[in-house]
Amino acid sequence: MDWQGQKLSEQLMQIMLVAVAVAAYVTGFMIESFRIMMLIYAGGVVLIALITVQNWPLFNRHPLKWLEPSVADEYSKEPPQQQAAAASSGKKKSTKK
Amino acid sequence: MHSWGYRLNAVATFSLTVLGVMCGMVSFSDNFNHPTPSADVRVLNINWFQRHPDGNDEVSMTMNITANLQSLFTWNTKQVFVFLAAEYETPMNSLNQVSLWDGIIPTKEHARFWIHTANKYRFIDQGSNLRGKDFNLTLHWHVMPKTGKMFADKIVMPGYHLLEDYR
Repeated sequence: MDWQGQKLSEQLMQIMLVAVAVAAYVTGFMIESFRIMMLIYAGGVVLIALITVQNWPLFNRHPLKWLEPSVADEYSKEPPQQQAAAASSGKKKSTKK
Repeated sequence: MHSWGYRLNAVATFSLTVLGVMCGMVSFSDNFNHPTPSADVRVLNINWFQRHPDGNDEVSMTMNITANLQSLFTWNTKQVFVFLAAEYETPMNSLNQVSLWDGIIPTKEHARFWIHTANKYRFIDQGSNLRGKDFNLTLHWHVMPKTGKMFADKIVMPGYHLLEDYR
């Protein structure tokens, strides 16, 4: 899940949960049934868990842009100090098999 | 929220917190119920009235207990515990309460009842003060909730009397 997706998932979860709770309470109060309130709430929680926990495509609409490996190499050549350049080139050599 | 386990934990914790708040609101809604219960007890017969060798009086009586406690029930009522107590004053104690009968009312339908019974529990005094005694019969009840606060109240029925002599 990307960052925007995580935020969306969390917000959806919180808003839907409170809405289900309110709906369950009002329904239970109107028909004077504690049992119905608990059943509606439990059903709602399961539904919300299915929607927000699973990694649906909806939560991946803003994928992160990772840099290409070759572009990353170009950036690693830039540091001004020679020691840093030697260290990074040394690193570069060790990662290339 | 980067993994499914993390999100599942968030749903579980938040849903339980919200459930706690909901139960608090359910209990609070009981305050809006204004019950109108009624009760009547008729003492049909004093079966016997004796004094123990150690000096304590004991009475056995048969009663008709009628009550309508249906208005006590709300959506948050699990059951109503009801008991009948004889209350009187003695030189030793300013208030004596002796439980004579109790019962559990599981549903609203059972809350309107009429029973004919001898006292379930023994009516024994601390001493021998019951001869010629005036006493109240008080019906107490505890409305036990499914969640939250328990309400208790009573109806006092005065005017009961024990005779002067043992029999």
